[in-house]
Amino acid sequence: MPISSFYGLQTSLRGLLAQQRSLDVTGHNVANASTQGYSRQEAVLSASDAMQLQAGAVQSGAGAHLGTGVDVQAYRRVRDGFLDLQYRAQATRLGEEAGVAQGLGNAELSLAEPSDDGINTQLSNFWDAWSDFANAPEDSAARQALVEQGSALADSFGTVDKQLALVASQAQEEYDTLTAPGGKVNQIATEIGQLNDTIKRFVTGGDPPNDLMDRRDQLLDDLSTLGQVSVEDLGNGSMKVTFGGPGDTPLVDDTTVNFPPALSAPSGRLGALRDLAASPGGRIASLRADLNTVAKTIADAVNDVHDGDGTGPKFFNYTAGAEAGSLSVAVTASTVRATATGLKGANDLALAASRLRGGDGDEAYRAFVARVGGEVSQANRQEANAQALRDSVDDRRQSVAGVSLDEEMTGLIRFQRAYQASSRAMSTMDEMLDVLINRTGRVGL
Amino acid sequence: MRITTGMTQRSTLADLNRINERVTKAQQQASSNRQISRPSDDPYDAARALQLRESLAGVKQYQRNIKDGQGWQETAEEAMSSITDSAQRARELLVQGTSDTTDPAARESIAKELDQLIAGIKQNANATYEGRYVFSGAATDVAPYLDGATDTFQGDTSTLVARQVGPGVSLEVGITAESFLGSGSAPGDGKLLDTLRSVAANLRSGDAAGMKADLTKLDTNLDEVLSSRALNGARQNRLDAALSRMGQVEEATTRQLSDTEDADIAETLIQLNSQQTAYQAALKVGANILQTSLMDFLR
Repeated sequence: MPISSFYGLQTSLRGLLAQQRSLDVTGHNVANASTQGYSRQEAVLSASDAMQLQAGAVQSGAGAHLGTGVDVQAYRRVRDGFLDLQYRAQATRLGEEAGVAQGLGNAELSLAEPSDDGINTQLSNFWDAWSDFANAPEDSAARQALVEQGSALADSFGTVDKQLALVASQAQEEYDTLTAPGGKVNQIATEIGQLNDTIKRFVTGGDPPNDLMDRRDQLLDDLSTLGQVSVEDLGNGSMKVTFGGPGDTPLVDDTTVNFPPALSAPSGRLGALRDLAASPGGRIASLRADLNTVAKTIADAVNDVHDGDGTGPKFFNYTAGAEAGSLSVAVTASTVRATATGLKGANDLALAASRLRGGDGDEAYRAFVARVGGEVSQANRQEANAQALRDSVDDRRQSVAGVSLDEEMTGLIRFQRAYQASSRAMSTMDEMLDVLINRTGRVGL
Repeated sequence: MRITTGMTQRSTLADLNRINERVTKAQQQASSNRQISRPSDDPYDAARALQLRESLAGVKQYQRNIKDGQGWQETAEEAMSSITDSAQRARELLVQGTSDTTDPAARESIAKELDQLIAGIKQNANATYEGRYVFSGAATDVAPYLDGATDTFQGDTSTLVARQVGPGVSLEVGITAESFLGSGSAPGDGKLLDTLRSVAANLRSGDAAGMKADLTKLDTNLDEVLSSRALNGARQNRLDAALSRMGQVEEATTRQLSDTEDADIAETLIQLNSQQTAYQAALKVGANILQTSLMDFLR
């Protein structure tokens, strides 16, 4: 079978078109160089099916295959699914550590220590007031000052307790907002369900929609900071996403969204928020319990002294179980006692109360502050640690899937040159045909 | 490893953030002059700083307590000094009265002066500090002695009045007048007031033997007053010692607090400077890395 004279034009055309597509993909990559979650793409080129020449095409008498140029086989998304898994695991951890660090950091701020406004200063002023009262038990100004200072101390405990409660309730509120119908989890789940549907249809048709798959991966990344995510590929482009606990009903199963999720063990930010807000047993609840113990220690010590032999009036009132929040001064300037003897200048009780300075109450409060500080500093350390791990996994992922502008520029030159060469081949072919058509058979003219 | 544009940007930004954080921290330390601004900066040192602050406040309060006690005791000392003078004068009068040459009219006038001395001693015993009777024991609102002929001690002797002068240390400051003046002739306790009343009576009646006995008693009474003064003086010394010790403790605690809480200015400034230099270097390098690409070198 003779080969058509126009055969080479077709080969060059294929080359032109393929290089053009490659340039298009390069343009797409460059345009998305800084798009969050974008994976670089490449046009996979391969030699097109060769033309089979019959026997006798070559000198040996055998047949042969003559190349027909190049075709675009696929537009491939360059991504490593294994790194995605690693990234999501680290993102979940970071979400959790960051959430805890943030909550505890707020709790620490509410202590206002060390400063001149914290409980420590109020406590020290309170002991001062007892001493002043002991120095001048007959002085009504000293009595009044002591009662005022007692109230100020009680208020400080109340304020810190309220601030801590606020941290817990804010965490609960954020948790509720995130997991509510229409909240972030719900939005992500719904969109993944829709994407599953679309992607499945394209994949079944043989053309994987790269950018939609990027979008779905991005949603899974977002979801993984909120809680632990596990993904099962259903084989047809669709996937099953389990969220917030390994044994839970899948949040998205193919196109079905099961909302609300059971969240048996969410970890991630949701886990952190739940851990902060839980009452009892939560981190903030445990701090408040400690603060209550401190308030109770101080109040009991002062009361024991002030009621003398146990029959006199108490100095502080409180509700058991909520000591810090309910602490109040039970006496007035006229009923506060420096002594049980009734002698105006006797100061045995006031002296005993002022001797409580630096005792168990002060110590308990300092231990409480040290505990809060220790927990915050540990949470900060763990957050930094998780951040470093997530960043390093992200780097590895970006190393595979990210767009390198240098690389794209190189590609640009490569494809442009190839395009130019193909068009040169076409021109050559054209000149050859020109000779054949216009200048052949004109001998003697 | 394939390095992509996104990676370079991310790591540059992360590095800048990290250095910036350190610069901010150093700035905070330099401007606040504190190395601990939150408990989490160093939980152990923060708790220590709280303790030192509390101790420092305590020391200042103890100093105030001591000064109050000192004022109290100075008042007592002045009063007792006057009482001593009066008792000595009474002794002189008594010696004069026992002389055989003194006639009844002269003894009467000596007895009158003695009555005045007794009234003066009682007045001195009613000395007050900031409106409180210093010799009444815990009953500071009650004058120890009434004017007139009744010499019964009105104050309280059962309860001690003390000041806290250090952690766990309290010092008794009150001295009751009863211990050296007594309650007069009604109980006949042989103390100064009782003796002086008896001297006056004996002078008037001209009882020479009684006056002789009074002289011995008066010497004993003078010793009692002096020993009370000595007790008060010893307490004053203890308060002075406590005050100077508190001064030392205050100095030491302030230094420890400063060591724990305050930033070392030289070190902080050097830190700040080196962090700022690092930040500028990172900015410069970042600017170079981020701007450069193959595009700069293609036509």
